[in-house]
Formats: sequence, C-alpha cells, structure tokens
Amino acid sequence: MADNIIVVENVHVNFWENNVGVYSIKDLITYRKSPFKNKTILNNISVTVERGESLGILGRNGSGKSTLLRTIAGIIKPDKGTVTVNGSFAPILAIGAGIEVELTGYENIAMLLSLYGTKKKNTNVIENIKSFSELSDEVLRMPVKQYSSGMSARLAFSISLANDSDILIIDEVLAVGDQGFQAKCYEKIFQIKKQGKTILFVSHFPGDVAKICDKAILLEKGELISSGNAEEICAKYNQLF
Amino acid sequence: MVGFFWGFIKPLIYLLIFMVMFSQSFPSMDHYILFVTSGLILWFFFSNVTSQSVGSVAGSAGLLKSLNIPAYFFPLSEMISELFNLLLTIIVFLVLMNWFGIVYSYKLLFAIPALLLFAIFAYGLNLLLSSINVFFRDVGILWGTIQPALFYLTPIAYPETMIPEKYKLVIKSNPIYYFIKLGRTIFHENVVPPMHAWNVCIFIAFTMLIIGLVVFNRLKNQFISAI
Repeated sequence: MADNIIVVENVHVNFWENNVGVYSIKDLITYRKSPFKNKTILNNISVTVERGESLGILGRNGSGKSTLLRTIAGIIKPDKGTVTVNGSFAPILAIGAGIEVELTGYENIAMLLSLYGTKKKNTNVIENIKSFSELSDEVLRMPVKQYSSGMSARLAFSISLANDSDILIIDEVLAVGDQGFQAKCYEKIFQIKKQGKTILFVSHFPGDVAKICDKAILLEKGELISSGNAEEICAKYNQLF
Repeated sequence: MVGFFWGFIKPLIYLLIFMVMFSQSFPSMDHYILFVTSGLILWFFFSNVTSQSVGSVAGSAGLLKSLNIPAYFFPLSEMISELFNLLLTIIVFLVLMNWFGIVYSYKLLFAIPALLLFAIFAYGLNLLLSSINVFFRDVGILWGTIQPALFYLTPIAYPETMIPEKYKLVIKSNPIYYFIKLGRTIFHENVVPPMHAWNVCIFIAFTMLIIGLVVFNRLKNQFISAI
C-alpha cells in the first residue's frame, strides 16, 4: 500500500464574503443587515500525496490555491470533508509570511523557531539561517520593516528551510529573490526532494512546476478541474489563457 | 520593564488628580488614598488589558495566515503580560501603602483569587472584543470611548455611599463594580470578603468567559477570510 502523507477528502471551505464595504460597527448600524455572504472557496476537493512526492498546484489568481495550502496545513478548518496529514510542517512560505516587520531579523528568527518548536540547542540552526540567507549581522539587527522585499523573502525562506519537517509548503515566493538567490533556492528544493521530503508548490510559472513536481493539480474557481502528471497539467494550465 | 513603568505612571497621575480634587471632598473617609489607589490599580489592570487585547487577533494576521496557532493565544499573551505588570505594581503598592494605613495580614492573600477572577472576566471580554474586532475594526475605538464612562460609573474615586438610592441599580448592573469591590474589601477594609461576594464574582467571571468562548469559537474559522 502506498504511504500517503496527505489525504484531502471532499473538502469544502466557505468564507464569509463581505463585498458591501461594511467594516465597522458604525457602517453596520446604518446598513442594518448582515454584510456577510457565504462564498464557496473550495468545492469538493480531494487530493492524495504520497510521502516523498511533490505536488504542484496551479490555477488563476483567486482560484483557491492558497486556501487549499492553508487547509492542508491546518490553518483553516474545512466546513465539510476531512484532511489527514501524517507528518510535520514547515510554516507556509508565502511572501512575508509569519514575519513581524516591527521585530529585527534575529528576533524574527527566535520567535518563529520557538513557534515551530525547533530545538535551538544547536546554535548551528541560527548559523545556517544566516549563511543561507546571506544577510549580514548588521542587517539582521535591523527591524524587518527596513528590509527590501527580497531581503525579507530571503529571511522567511531561510527560516522555513531550517526546520527539519516532513512537508515543505511554498506559495509563490521564489519570484522575489534575485537570480543568485533563486538559483540557490531551487538547488535547496531539489536537495530537500532528494532527502525524500514532500513538497507542496504553488507557482504561476508552469515551467518551475514541471521541473520540481511529480504530480500537479489545476484549480479553477475553487474546483479541481484536473490532476495528474505535472507536465500534462502545466500544458492544460497554459491553455487557460 | 517599559510596560511596567507606563502601567505605574498612569494610576499615579490619576491618583494625584483624585488626591487634590477629592480628598477635600471626603475628609470624613478613612484612608482615602488607600481607597482610591486600590480601586485605580484594579481599574487600570482591566482597562489596559482590554485595550491591548482588542486588536491582538487582527494584528496577528501574518502569523495566523502562515502558522497553525490557536487564535486565542494572542489575547492570552496580552493577559499574561498585563498580569505580570499587575504583580509588579501591587508589590510597589503594598510597600507605598505602608504610609497610608494598609494593614499587613494573611488576609491580603485573598487578593490572589480575587484578581484571578477579575482576570477571567477580563479574558472573556477580550475574547469577545478581539473576535468581533476582526470583522469590524472600530470595536477598539468604541471600547476606548466607552471606558471613561464606565470608569465614572464604577465607584472607584468616590465611595459607594455617595450614590443616591434611586441610581443604585445603575451601579449594581455594572459587572466591574463587583470585582473592584471584592479587591477593595481586602486591600482597604482589610476584611475577608463574605461568601456571597465571591459567588457573585465567580458567576459573572465565568458567564463572561463562556460568552467570550462561544462567540470566539463561532467566529474563529472565518478570521482568515477577514484579516
């Protein structure tokens, strides 16, 4: 039997959509009815990922890719259906995810590592983060709000990779770094793949998905419209436009 | 440490105001300074922790979106840090009040459960306010506006006996009144509060906690869609 690390079964996720601009009690008093409408974000999604496999998730903006990642990571509870995960997660890697901009680089490292439950016993972890991110000591002592977007992406990516978790989730983050850092990230991702870890990868570049992933799924308006071999799905994705 | 300093300077300024303004008005009152200070410390604990917590969930969007952390941790962390400030404030208060007539006795230990009950009440309210604030961002502003009214509706700077009989109901329908009174019975009157006073506070504290938990749990799945 296959060793399934992630099983998503018939998952529905609804959001309360507020598209009438009522964001305060003040507005609510004059509006006088509920500003919320139930909107289906994910409709009956089922996906299975085997251990060591990497899954690409493709789809237009707003098709539910990030919501699916968050549902798998347990951040969003599905309204219907079940998500079973037999492994540990690194935090979701999205642009600026989890980074508190008021804190310095070092403080962010300490905070996130303790939130992920990484043992800080070996100080190597922090050294690894420093060397992988190529951020200098001075930079890491500055609050992250003073970083460029590429610098904070480097920091987030490096912290996330420092965790020895079974599943790595990457959400459209690689486009930010410069060429050198991007190349380094890809190298690292392939290395992680070789170690037999599972990767969930969201990108708008089908070429990247085809390179990194074995399998892929294509989402459209919250529905899974096709799944299969990464290259086939990438071809289908290109036909959408 | 900075938080502690501010936590202490605020009641101190109010204390000075009340000393100048009111100690002339209530010359008959025993230990007016002790009376006001014990009320102010409790009030500012409540006021600070609620004001800090209102935005705590909405302000943690980044973490909530990328990590599977229970959302109620955010108001809880504010509560723990304010309790720590309260502890430091009370230590200073106990020393200072030596000059203003505090009686040191084992009865002061009853302040611990009294403060914990107040903290439970405040946490319940924080869960309610912080979860609604995710969807309607002016809850914090509204709460800040209501607070001064609440402050003067609670007998903190003036003795309860000053209130005319016909307005007693207004005072008695204010939940904060019971907690301030409970704490003050211990600090100011140096008396162990009677059983019914404890029962009322236990009832209010846990009712508020349950309301807060129910609302928070109902809303928490939708936090991600709104932050």
